[in-house]
Amino acid sequence: MIFVGELSELPPGESVRVQGEVAIAVFNADGELYAIDDTCTHQDASLSDGWLEGCAVECPLHAACFDLRTGRPSGPPAKEPVRTHRVEVQDGRIYVHETAPVGAAPVAAEAAVGEVVR
Amino acid sequence: MTTGEIAPSSQGEDLPESLKGTLPGRYYTDPAIFRAEQAAIFETQWFCAVLAADLDKPGRFETVQVGRESVLVARGRDGAVNAYLNVCRHRGARLCTEESGEVRRAFQCPYHAWTYSLDGKLVSAPNLTSMPDVDRARFGLHRVHVREWLGYVWVCLADEPPSFEETVIGDVTTRLGTPDAIVGYQVADLKLGRRIEYDVKANWKQIVENFMECYHCATIHPELTEVLPEFADGLAAQYFVGHGAEFGRDVEGFTVDGSAGLERIPGVNEEQDRRYYAITVRPTVFINLVPDHVIFHRMFPLTADRTLVRCDWLYLPEVVDSGADIDRSVELFHRVNQQDFDACERCQLAMDSRSYRDGGVLVPSEHHIGEFHDWVRAHTG
Repeated sequence: MIFVGELSELPPGESVRVQGEVAIAVFNADGELYAIDDTCTHQDASLSDGWLEGCAVECPLHAACFDLRTGRPSGPPAKEPVRTHRVEVQDGRIYVHETAPVGAAPVAAEAAVGEVVR
Repeated sequence: MTTGEIAPSSQGEDLPESLKGTLPGRYYTDPAIFRAEQAAIFETQWFCAVLAADLDKPGRFETVQVGRESVLVARGRDGAVNAYLNVCRHRGARLCTEESGEVRRAFQCPYHAWTYSLDGKLVSAPNLTSMPDVDRARFGLHRVHVREWLGYVWVCLADEPPSFEETVIGDVTTRLGTPDAIVGYQVADLKLGRRIEYDVKANWKQIVENFMECYHCATIHPELTEVLPEFADGLAAQYFVGHGAEFGRDVEGFTVDGSAGLERIPGVNEEQDRRYYAITVRPTVFINLVPDHVIFHRMFPLTADRTLVRCDWLYLPEVVDSGADIDRSVELFHRVNQQDFDACERCQLAMDSRSYRDGGVLVPSEHHIGEFHDWVRAHTG
């Protein structure tokens, strides 16, 4: 589990980038929190620098649009989805549970990352 | 006399008292002199760039040529107008190639996609997160000084701009006698009724000199001289301080046929009514004041022998919004512009002639143009 920050520091419309195994972008879309891989699958750009539109983020470089709920791109130039991650708020603090990398045992991966962060 | 030899021109110390010399012909054609003017005048003075109302929402932008630079003028999210050198900080590509347009969120270089927010900061670039030592403010767009006055955006490319009050407002004060005289025209509150652009094949100084004198008025401006009969005497309003040329007795308005104009601008006082005032704001602006509208010229010198002129006719917003017929009032100065720019182009043709190598002469009603020549010389050295 990765500590992201205080909920009060991430108002609606804002985003923040945190480091897990890979960089993760956390968004506050009108009060709903979402986390996805920060790096666009088309070219190395930070989606946390992108433009939040409803439940999607548009990459600042080439306008690839990713659904924050599924990680799927709405169309070119991105073809591959980004991973989504579970977000949890405890006592006004935001945490992300990083999804296991492809091929890893989910529980072990989460525990490993959690240990590093703590 | 052999060809190639030419008698010393009439210029110099032996001129009769009635005449003063002009600048030599090469001042109007020599690319080196034009370059010096770009560096020492257009890139150091306050330069009138954009009608602020044309940038009517965040993301609206215009690019204008100021000296040797392309300048990007854009309205930000906070409603303020910003100006930047139109150059990507990465490898120098021109950022915006359009003359005007609108971006939704950011300016993006079409080369490597370096992306800048409306306030100029670098917000994204490929692999930027792998270069955490790159400061996004430091590698933002280079800012240019901005000032809004009379509803226009003025920019200055100098590191330390000259006093706006002493230069721009100073030129208005010098002509009208007081800085307050222009206030009643409420220029910033007027609305664009018509814009006409003129691509003039002449050096910018030809256009300034022409605007400053009226020796030519009776010859090339029949319509204007009908409306302002005193112009037939050859003395421009700019020959005096605080002088407005009076409309002819039977003239009802500042229109191509002297017919009635539009509603008078409320702040215009009795003394200013039925008069035409003209102001040159160096280096590139002319302001014409009449009771019911303001005609505002912006010049964009492009090369030694080519100048783009944007002329705006500004009226009370209710006049423009009502769809009132402004054709006759626009037509008067549109004709004056065409007549003037034709004359400037005719002079430009001769600037490389041996005949004009040492320049020409100014008659007494044109002697005040000498002050402009001194100003140019003082700046370019």
